[in-house]
Amino acid sequence: MAVQPRGEVYDIGYRHYEGPREGRDRARFALWTNGVRTALGLGRGTRAKILPILLFASTMVPAAVFVLMASLAEDFGVSEVVDVPGHADYYDIVSILVLVFSAIIAPELLCADRRSQVLQLYLVRPLTPTDYVAGRWLAFFTIVLALVYSGQIVMFVGFTFAAQEPLDYIRENWLDVPRFLAAGAAVAVFVTTIPLAVSGFTARRAYAAGFVIGLFIISTSAANALTTCTEREMRIENGVTVVDRCEAVTGRWAKWIGLADFGSVPSYVSDRIFGEVPDSSDAVQQVNQLNEAIPIAWYILLTAGPAAILLRRYQKAAL
Amino acid sequence: MTGASGQCYDWRMSFLLEAQALTKHYGAVVALDGVDFQVGKGVTGLLGPNGAGKSTAIKLFLGLIEPTSGSAQVLGERPYESIEVRARLGYMPEHDCLPMSLTASEFLTHMAQVSGLPPAHARTRAADTLRHVGLDEERYRSIGEYSTGMKQRVKLAQALVHDPVLVLLDEPTAGLDPLGREEMLALIRRTGSEFGISIMLSSHLMGDVESTCDRIVVLEGGRVVEDDTVSHLTQETETLYVEVDDRRDELLALMQRNGLDASLEGMSIVIDGVDDEGYDTVRDAVVESGARLRRMAPQRHRLTEIFRR
Repeated sequence: MAVQPRGEVYDIGYRHYEGPREGRDRARFALWTNGVRTALGLGRGTRAKILPILLFASTMVPAAVFVLMASLAEDFGVSEVVDVPGHADYYDIVSILVLVFSAIIAPELLCADRRSQVLQLYLVRPLTPTDYVAGRWLAFFTIVLALVYSGQIVMFVGFTFAAQEPLDYIRENWLDVPRFLAAGAAVAVFVTTIPLAVSGFTARRAYAAGFVIGLFIISTSAANALTTCTEREMRIENGVTVVDRCEAVTGRWAKWIGLADFGSVPSYVSDRIFGEVPDSSDAVQQVNQLNEAIPIAWYILLTAGPAAILLRRYQKAAL
Repeated sequence: MTGASGQCYDWRMSFLLEAQALTKHYGAVVALDGVDFQVGKGVTGLLGPNGAGKSTAIKLFLGLIEPTSGSAQVLGERPYESIEVRARLGYMPEHDCLPMSLTASEFLTHMAQVSGLPPAHARTRAADTLRHVGLDEERYRSIGEYSTGMKQRVKLAQALVHDPVLVLLDEPTAGLDPLGREEMLALIRRTGSEFGISIMLSSHLMGDVESTCDRIVVLEGGRVVEDDTVSHLTQETETLYVEVDDRRDELLALMQRNGLDASLEGMSIVIDGVDDEGYDTVRDAVVESGARLRRMAPQRHRLTEIFRR
């Protein structure tokens, strides 16, 4: 009869950890990776992945549509006369779509830790409140940046292959690459900061999301209603509508009231990086009458201000 | 470990925690008032009623707040100035602090990484620590499905996962039923003796402190009112209980006349601070009064009585 191999189980008891300790840098990196996984729903059920998929679609569908339009314009030989949307137009549309989805997804990064009170466990480890907020902010910023860059890369590659002479297209348009990289960062900073700053004031994701989306809808509607032209003179030049005169209902205050169009704020920066003047709505057209530095300063105020409030909020949360 | 001064700090030879003239004011409220105490290796209880300053002391030692004056040192460093020292501390809060949607294994792995451990080591430590607190089989279940006792074990495990030198436990038996409480106290005793991890346990439950701690620091109104070993405190407060069938009042009067600190408590005569000579005096008083003795037994005071002084 064959002898059965015998195994024995030993309880070796508690053993102290003698491996590497990588301190604060490891803690920050762990917070960032955890934030990325949480936002994308990785390691969670299918339901947690629905919103990230919609966010992905919101960046990819416009890019695909623009490429299709460019391709059709080339095929029908009308690319010289039809104004096919380009890299700057992509950000005008995507910044609003991404803002809406970010308003729903981003708060989970902060609200969940406040709701479950895990936050205090982080703050007693080698992390400061600033490390915590920066780690969460960078996690969502990375995701948004990766998505909007992906959309722009799809467009650039698509436009290149749709062109009659791809090499000529690259030679003539290569500057769009650094422009969309810079403008994408500006859009990502805005759509990351606003929802996270609001999340600092509630433990409920739904409240934060509702507030940001509500703020967007109300501010955009109100700003456009108050800047609507009562008298307008316009002409069409090279297929583009040019407004020569617009008398708004709020008169000379209209150009300042237009700044309240919250959803258009990232466009002020991204369009200027592309050397274009944003003209997506009445409110934006009114803002164009202001000194060029004012909309940029407004963007900086609307990102740096909430970021500072968020950091201060978490300094106090530690207490 | 290198201290703030740049000199090598050996926590095995020194105090793990040290409060020196530690004071904390919240506006006009004085939470801690010039407190001095040290915590060495072993299990130390921080005892006191609500509002005594226990939570403030813990927050100061964790570096979450800064003292108004004085200093709170942990392993030779001030944690509010040098946060790296927190990598060697563990903390189990009183309140709920667990993400219900994660498994215990995922949560502990993440917490180990946030304490500075690389991912592969963090996974191993998470599995080992959960086994040590008795959650080996259940570690892949969501924490939301756990019982209160199991959640409390996960809270302890996250405080131990990075193998700290010292853990601070804030009311570790809060919300547990009697069986769960006993299990948690046994686990704390094991952590101190078998795992060799020093503990500072904050509690308002004297029984918890008495059954787990080697030493206690009693806070009341922001001041230290006792700081000694548990065995010494209970030994010092020896009391004699005497029960008689009749002539209780005569016996009590006789004892008081003979200089004993005797009083009536229910059906018993309680005599405080009895030494060897006192036993002879009690015996003589019983004989002289003619009372029929039913029971005479020395009884150690419980720590509860520290607050009655």
